[in-house]
Amino acid sequence: MSESNSYRSVMRCPVCFSRDTDVLMIHTGTDFHYCTKCSFQGLESEIRGMYRDIQKKFHNMGKRITLEEQRAL
Amino acid sequence: MMLFNIFHRPGPGAHYDIYRQQQELAHQLGLKTTIFLYYSDLFDPRAIADAIHDRDTHGDEISLALHNLTGPEITEISNGQIALWLLDRERKEQILARMIGKFAEVFGANPTSIGSYHLDSSCLEVLRRLAPEARTVIGGCFEEGVRVFHGCNHSWYLFNEGMPWNPWYPSKTHGLRPARDEDDAAGVVAVPHLVRDMSLAFEGRNDFWASHPPNVIRGMGNDASFCPYDLNLIDQYRMQAEWNGGYSYYNTFVSPSWLDWNHNSEYPPEVAWELYRKFLTYMASLKKDGQLEDLTLSAYGERHRQIRPVGHDEVYLAKELLYGSGKHYFWFVDPAYRVTIDATQGGSIGDLRPYAGQAPVATGPDTPHRDIGSYPYLIQSQHRSGNAHHCYDGARTTLLLKHAGQTLDLCNYRTKVASVTRADDRVKATLTPVSFTFADGLAGELTTTYEFGNGVITISRQVSGLSAQADLELIEYFKGAPGRTEYPEDLHGIILEANGSSPVQREFDYSGQWIDAPGATEVAAVIPHVRTRLSLTSNSAASGRVHAGHLFSPYFTLQLAHRLTGNGTTRTCLNLTPIAA
Repeated sequence: MSESNSYRSVMRCPVCFSRDTDVLMIHTGTDFHYCTKCSFQGLESEIRGMYRDIQKKFHNMGKRITLEEQRAL
Repeated sequence: MMLFNIFHRPGPGAHYDIYRQQQELAHQLGLKTTIFLYYSDLFDPRAIADAIHDRDTHGDEISLALHNLTGPEITEISNGQIALWLLDRERKEQILARMIGKFAEVFGANPTSIGSYHLDSSCLEVLRRLAPEARTVIGGCFEEGVRVFHGCNHSWYLFNEGMPWNPWYPSKTHGLRPARDEDDAAGVVAVPHLVRDMSLAFEGRNDFWASHPPNVIRGMGNDASFCPYDLNLIDQYRMQAEWNGGYSYYNTFVSPSWLDWNHNSEYPPEVAWELYRKFLTYMASLKKDGQLEDLTLSAYGERHRQIRPVGHDEVYLAKELLYGSGKHYFWFVDPAYRVTIDATQGGSIGDLRPYAGQAPVATGPDTPHRDIGSYPYLIQSQHRSGNAHHCYDGARTTLLLKHAGQTLDLCNYRTKVASVTRADDRVKATLTPVSFTFADGLAGELTTTYEFGNGVITISRQVSGLSAQADLELIEYFKGAPGRTEYPEDLHGIILEANGSSPVQREFDYSGQWIDAPGATEVAAVIPHVRTRLSLTSNSAASGRVHAGHLFSPYFTLQLAHRLTGNGTTRTCLNLTPIAA
């Protein structure tokens, strides 16, 4: 679990992920990561913002729904 | 009572330490595990010694994992193929013989359970012959297969579709079809590889939404180490005990790579560990409260034999959790069919697997099925459009409600499952009523009730509260096609039938023509692809229609019409009966 693990700089393309496809982007050492499948490229901060956008559809992402509450859903 | 299996497996290199930490965590929480050793692990003295220690100290089970077909005298047979069920029969037997022989050499006995992502019918037959002691298996990965073609990256196809979501008795002719009786049974109890979110696994990638916290990270369903969804899904499974004899089932199988830096997560490993710890801690708390029992896989298999007879049915009421959509799906499975009711589409059938025909499937390059081990569908509304959303509709059922020249399609009305009950060996699901209004102001309510069991789905439509005494036509509608993927199969060979004053029997010809059947009380399709005759029957029906779709809409359609004046109820049976091969 080394902090220097190469996966640390690997991110999935947020455009492909939004259509349910995991595609690892390539990080060339510049600020940009680019997708090998589609035309997207972006900064890490921009990509993480896009991940947040993807999560906006999960309205209950932070909500604990207990067994009793589920019975009433 | 929830019955729970934890599965762990060693990993190579640094991942071995992670596996040991997983074992330690489970044991600290007082939970048993089942350890899956790969064939290559059977040559590793440390892996063997640690597994024996855990078995003898904590009551864990040592089991054999069939995936990753590498190791002495196997690598040269598999030639890089990692999935046993995708080899030809001869190689399956060669590899299984070596694996089981090595396991017996190391541990002094054959394994009592076996783990695989999938076990096709030929694997099961060979396995039972070579290791009859292996009475319980991990035998399938729910929908994770051809569906993943939509969404997965380029290397990860598991080819399982149309299987039960809970443990089942695989049949001899199809590993995913639940056996009708002891003669039909392959001789093992199978559990799924992970349990799935029965809402989101139907709508999309089920690998994200399952009993596997790091997979939920992969799906981006977590906010760092905060992920109540993991526990919500456990509780949804606990809820199912209400309709399934007081028992529910859950398992988890997180391999070490998911608890390290990995390409499926943008979080550091500490996040996955924290969520896995919370998950197991919740299970341990349920055990402490007497609401959960942890078992080894073999022990679960023997328990299953006590609580679920061969031929049993299973019910799942899914209430979507993550989006907060309020959607309900209702699932029913028995040896005659597996069906999914999409309550949000007015109670339309979203998926139908006609097990009654007992379609045989074995996979491998020596079979016509090659890599697709799915149980074929007659309706799969995700693969095949379902309710019309841009042009024609696809595979689905619905009710068409007609009055004064206007047609309302029940698929466009949202309902929920209002109640689920069991009586007389049948399961009844009643949906919440739909309020409808025609352009001329006629209004009323329509309530749908389904009854499941014995190879029949009975559909009742109750019209009530009509604002005026008026004529209504209620048309039960079935549009389907045999299939295994998104793509159409060749529908030649299907026979469309109807009774009535002008009986119909016509070969499917892609003509696009409707054929009317006045006075029909039965419309049917004989579908040799799935060895099944599907019919809609109702003694009170007034007429029927059948349709052979053209190549731009490759489905058969059956309609059975009722006429009501004022309030009333119609009952239609959807029958699935086997035909000769």
